[in-house]
Amino acid sequence: MNRICTIAGKDFRSLITSPMFLMVAGASSLLMSYSYLRNLKQFGESTMMSAMQFGQEGGANIHFSVFMQHISITNLLYVLLMPAITMRLLAEERKMRTYDLLLTAPITATDIAVGKFLAAFGAGLVLVLLSLIYPLATRAVAEFSVTQLLVSYLGLALVTGTYMAVGVFASSLTESVLLAVVLGWILNLFLWFISQGAGFFEGSKFIAVMEHLSIGQHFASFVRGTLNVGSFVFILSCIAFFVFLTQRVVESSRWR
Amino acid sequence: MIEVRGLTKSYGDRLAIQDLNFTVNKGEVVGFLGPNGAGKSTTMKIVTGYMAPSSGEVRVGGFDVFENPIEVKSQIGYLPETPPVYMDMLVEDYLIYVARLRGKSKPDAKTMAQAAMEKTNLTEVQKRLIGNLSKGFRQRVGLAQALVGDPEVLILDEPTVGLDPKQVHEMRDLIQRLKGQHTIVLSTHILPEVQASCDRIIIINRGQIVAEDSLESLGKRMSASGQVTLKIRRKHEELVQSLSGVKGVMSVRRDGSGLDVSVDHNEDTIEAIAEHTVKAGAGLVELKATDLDLEDIFIRLTSSERSEVGREL
Ligand SMILES: Nc1ncnc2c1ncn2[C@@H]1O[C@H](COP(=O)(O)OP(=O)(O)O)[C@@H](O)[C@H]1O
Ligand SMILES: [Mg+2]
Repeated sequence: MNRICTIAGKDFRSLITSPMFLMVAGASSLLMSYSYLRNLKQFGESTMMSAMQFGQEGGANIHFSVFMQHISITNLLYVLLMPAITMRLLAEERKMRTYDLLLTAPITATDIAVGKFLAAFGAGLVLVLLSLIYPLATRAVAEFSVTQLLVSYLGLALVTGTYMAVGVFASSLTESVLLAVVLGWILNLFLWFISQGAGFFEGSKFIAVMEHLSIGQHFASFVRGTLNVGSFVFILSCIAFFVFLTQRVVESSRWR
Repeated sequence: MIEVRGLTKSYGDRLAIQDLNFTVNKGEVVGFLGPNGAGKSTTMKIVTGYMAPSSGEVRVGGFDVFENPIEVKSQIGYLPETPPVYMDMLVEDYLIYVARLRGKSKPDAKTMAQAAMEKTNLTEVQKRLIGNLSKGFRQRVGLAQALVGDPEVLILDEPTVGLDPKQVHEMRDLIQRLKGQHTIVLSTHILPEVQASCDRIIIINRGQIVAEDSLESLGKRMSASGQVTLKIRRKHEELVQSLSGVKGVMSVRRDGSGLDVSVDHNEDTIEAIAEHTVKAGAGLVELKATDLDLEDIFIRLTSSERSEVGREL
């Protein structure tokens, strides 16, 4: 456990101080600011209009009209940007031969895989919090259910965890950071569109299974603000699955 | 301390090492000597648990590397061919990190990092970024990394390769000072390296051990083999035949107007050769006797066509 924390702590620090992280954080906050403010302004105008027309307040719900959009945009950004943060975690170790240090230290492949994932997840959570600032700041001017918001963000944190686990796995497969990014994208998109592929097949049962396997369905239920144990478990098992795959890859590097 | 039995490793269908057997006792400094591609790094990677062999067994301090990797790895400090350093870390932070990976508590890790830096004269660069250090310093950080926490066994893979002469000298001094405190296995493809630091050498070529002995007795056996060069005016072919019959002569080879004779290290043999040549009326004009030094022997042992001497050993 201590050794996991050692790896996670060191890599977390080096991740969040890396230029790549700062670039990702900068780019996402720029895009989020733009889209968020635009949505908020539209929402303000439409509520004003409905208030004038119907003589009452709160015709629309800010959670559905603004926050959900904001979370979708954040999610889209993170699908694309997270692999760039995780790309170096293991690929660079291989390339710079520091992998030798990890593989000959008295630690297990599980320590390495879990430590790397936790470092990445930590960095991901920092970015999730960055995105959460926007809706929270809106609290100054509007009333809404914070619980509902936090449940949606729990969902966002979990899918970010999945992107991180996927990214670390992609990074474990290669020496090339570029390849690690591309692999990360492919796997992330696969996770999202697995239900789309189901349309090609006959049989509603099969479609139902595929939809269940698609991370999008489970994420959507979180984003609406409903805490669903099934979805929670599903996304957690996705994360565990990719961490497990990473562990297998690290372990297998002894067998060349 | 280290026992290697029947170790074989192939990369795909390429055999890198083949049926290696050797033992390293506690406190010994053993040189692992062989030309590039001999299989030194491969052997070290297996002993440190970095890589699994195709077959064979390695025990370190009584533990099997593959059944108890954690126990084995905690006893070993390893400096790979490329020092495994993070360019974006400070020297001190890096060494603390290594100590933490070895399971030491935070305060212990700090003390151990300091101790390792003192042993390797790195204290004045402890707050520098490793990426900004020269190659010699990085190599020293690599050595400090192996020393963190005073592991019983040190495995150093070509610790001086790529360094300039001054850095090589410093590195050898450092290793010299570690003698007696650790069991050390040091690989190299340059002979002076083992002459400088090792009690015993294992010579490996093309994945097989070709010689294994203490430095002195290997030296003795080597000087036991000398060479006599003769220059004669007549009867070359005849002498090639007849000289082989002289006691102590191992082989005779014609080389232009001269003869190269491999002999044991005995002055009687040289006298007998001189006498024989003169009696045969071959017109002796020059006779030169030379001892082979370690370097010659090494070249003979590790060159692909192994000489008489190689087989003899
Ligand atoms: N990763 C690898 N894949 C394939 N062949 C390798 C690999 N590493 C080493 N070899 C081959 O194994 C042999 C031994 O290599 P190595 O142990 O590095 O030798 P040394 O360290 O003595 O120079 C060489 O012929 C080398 O080409
Ligand atoms: Mg080598």
